[in-house]
Amino acid sequence: MKADVIIIGAGIQGCSTAYNLAKAGVKVLVLEKDWASRHASGVNAGGVRVLGRHVSEVELSKASMDLWLNLDNELEADTGFRSRSLVNIAADEADMDTLYARQQQMHELGHAHEKIIDQQELRERLPHVAPHCVGGVVAEKDGYAIPYKSTFAFRNAAKRLGAQFLEGQAVQQIRKVGSSWLVNTQDSTFEAEHLVNCAGAWADKVSVMIGDNTPMSYSAPMLMITTRMPHFATPVVGAVSRPLSFKQFENGTVLIGGGSKGFADRDHNRTRLDYSKLAIGAKNAVEFFPIMQTASVNRMWSGLEAYLPDNIPVIGPSVNADNAYHAFGFSAHGFQMGPIVGQVMAELVLTGKSRFDLSAFRVDRFERKVL
Amino acid sequence: MSKPQVMHYSPQVGDSSDSRSDHGSFDIAIIGAGPAGMSAAITASELGASVVILDDKARAGGQIYRNVSESPLDKPESLGEDYLYGRELIERFQHCSAKKIYQATVWHVGDNGEVLFTQDKATRSLSARELLICPGAMERPFPVPGWHLPGVMSAGSAQVMLKSDGLVCDDAVFVGSGPLLYLIVAQYLRLGVRVKALVDTTPRDNYIHSVQQLPGALSKPNMLTKGLQLLNEIRKSGTPVYRHVTDVRIDSQDPENSDRVSGLRFTCSGKPELLAVGQVFLHQGVIPNLNMSRALNLQHHWCEQQLCWKPTLNQWGQSSIASISVAGDGSGIVGAEGAEHMGRIAALNQATRLGVISENERDQQAADSLQRLATLNRFRRFIDRLYQPAEEFRLPEDDSTVVCRCEEQTLGKLKYGFSQGARGPNELKGLTRCGMGPCQGRQCGHTITELLAKWRGDSVDQVGYYRMRSPMRLLNLTELSRFSRIEPDSTEKSVVKEAAKITVESAVESTREKTGAA
Repeated sequence: MKADVIIIGAGIQGCSTAYNLAKAGVKVLVLEKDWASRHASGVNAGGVRVLGRHVSEVELSKASMDLWLNLDNELEADTGFRSRSLVNIAADEADMDTLYARQQQMHELGHAHEKIIDQQELRERLPHVAPHCVGGVVAEKDGYAIPYKSTFAFRNAAKRLGAQFLEGQAVQQIRKVGSSWLVNTQDSTFEAEHLVNCAGAWADKVSVMIGDNTPMSYSAPMLMITTRMPHFATPVVGAVSRPLSFKQFENGTVLIGGGSKGFADRDHNRTRLDYSKLAIGAKNAVEFFPIMQTASVNRMWSGLEAYLPDNIPVIGPSVNADNAYHAFGFSAHGFQMGPIVGQVMAELVLTGKSRFDLSAFRVDRFERKVL
Repeated sequence: MSKPQVMHYSPQVGDSSDSRSDHGSFDIAIIGAGPAGMSAAITASELGASVVILDDKARAGGQIYRNVSESPLDKPESLGEDYLYGRELIERFQHCSAKKIYQATVWHVGDNGEVLFTQDKATRSLSARELLICPGAMERPFPVPGWHLPGVMSAGSAQVMLKSDGLVCDDAVFVGSGPLLYLIVAQYLRLGVRVKALVDTTPRDNYIHSVQQLPGALSKPNMLTKGLQLLNEIRKSGTPVYRHVTDVRIDSQDPENSDRVSGLRFTCSGKPELLAVGQVFLHQGVIPNLNMSRALNLQHHWCEQQLCWKPTLNQWGQSSIASISVAGDGSGIVGAEGAEHMGRIAALNQATRLGVISENERDQQAADSLQRLATLNRFRRFIDRLYQPAEEFRLPEDDSTVVCRCEEQTLGKLKYGFSQGARGPNELKGLTRCGMGPCQGRQCGHTITELLAKWRGDSVDQVGYYRMRSPMRLLNLTELSRFSRIEPDSTEKSVVKEAAKITVESAVESTREKTGAA
């Protein structure tokens, strides 16, 4: 089967890339080893945040946020996106010092979306916060979306525009013959001029097949969700220096994250939870929000996610092959970037260039060039 | 019970099962103290294995023998002789040396032998070389229009209320099929409780088809007539009995606001009927409670005879993970007597795996139970066919019928999710939230998989089931934050090291014999 572009991986990055390419009239084929949104894109915490981004990511993240604000209209679907603000809580003065230092850095770069708040304002925004918390920082536009629905929305919009999705197709071999990429799965061979690697926790394997080494690793960040509780928190909540992160959805359930990791068994598509770390997460939640003492945990889970040593992704062209591109290794904060990454990848495929500075995301940035 | 030793949970837990057993693992951990679990605990502990058994109730007995030792009723005899038989089993169980942990809500079981549970407002953990899970049965969902309304309950809950608290409900209508339904109606009548009607949904054809299984059933003639006797008893009492009923629909004054049930509509002999009623009890048989075996990711298959998922087991009850066995109704419906035999068989096999008895000893000691189980299974084929629920009561047809009760997902909403491209249960869950509520799909799992199979034109096995998440029961956040670990007392030494010694000695012995022979 032939296409203009083959995308490997139907997570949010792959589906968003497919959507943007299909919109430009390109013939797109997406190969997915399981099914769309099966891994990190479907089971992550759904955080849509610009707050606290790595400086290299801020421009992309802000542009993505503008897309989120209108995404349901654009995709003619319900992503569950809600702009609710995100508050990171400072538990002590040391946390406040961290925030002031960050603010200065952001102002120097010309960014003003993060605003420091004092204890009183913290209480107003989060009336149930524990009394020992001294302040925090807020980003007003931030919020959350429903991961599975969002990824599905991109997939369905792409399909409507003619993109083809083949699920259950695990890539086994990639070859470059002349100006064509030949991609073998267990069932068939597919051919295209351009190749995009959005393979998430399996992207290092695809990257090596293309010809680029990468020190990517993978892990299993864990989450838990409670049964419905009375409404007590409108903003999404994080903490400056503690592994705490939660959001209360409109149905009253509270999703508790915080980035602690379980055990990833990538070869079997499985994860195992580390309950001792979830217990610490439970302790933190109760400590910061005493109202959660009586919360009931309904489900605990984790998904397979790709990480790079500097915790920012690879976004950009292959350095060792023509007409191949990467977007992977988002290190547990790629969901919010999905909408803009799809645009960037489409631009790269169509023009070879991007309007963003992608130098921090080069695939070869970890290679030692001088000995 | 041993004094719980507080310890920090090592992050490596789960990576190496060997390092764990060195600090105090049990030989066998049994989850569930019903007939299967009790019988396994008796068998394994008599052989000298260190056994721990957990149950979420305050007493042993399981659903079937619930509270038989401490019944709130003046005359527990009215509940029948099967119920009273449980007393003797419970007594033997109470005297066996297994460590018994009651009021323990097991919320996670790992394939590494890890068991996490809540008790006394804290989380405790223990580990064992072998796991035997006996999660029992649950009532098959009965997704007819209005089954979610207040005033509609399962007949099983009526029985729980009766056994635990001596609570009954006058003038209720019982709807459905199967021996347990007739039993609870008969129990009500014997206690002098008025029953408005029995609405029997057993299809007429079932009586014809089940006759083919009659030769097998004749091996258990007393059990064969038990269901019919109960039905006779109910008729003789003058209680109206409607048979071969179709098109069941439960009404309320204001269905939009989920008002209490007000009436029951159905068709009987081609005639529409309407009963005014304030309480409906539904029942159409039982199916294995899958949450634990599914959370363990054991291999399962769809059983056409019982129209349910079952963990795939060998004749010893061993699952696709060798150190985990399943016994009792959680393995497929076998009944209390069958569960007791299965528990014994599984325990003997686990004792062999631990090196306590040889394979020969196991085969000898299990022979009687294996044979009785085979006899019971022949009878079961007849009963399964006779009371097989009709498709109209398993697969809802009305778009407004609720399928997932926790998240209030109707058939119409699920159809929409399917049309959006959700082909499997997990995709449908991601898109519609069906199966995401507190019951984790226990109530809707079977319905969803059968519906998807029908829509796709595939087999139920091809469709698969929900991926289950821990905790298996709701878990309080504060309880989660308090961790401790339970280990065997020094008197409850593992047999494994002893057994290893014996194995070495007997190996030396047999080498000598061979040398001598040479």
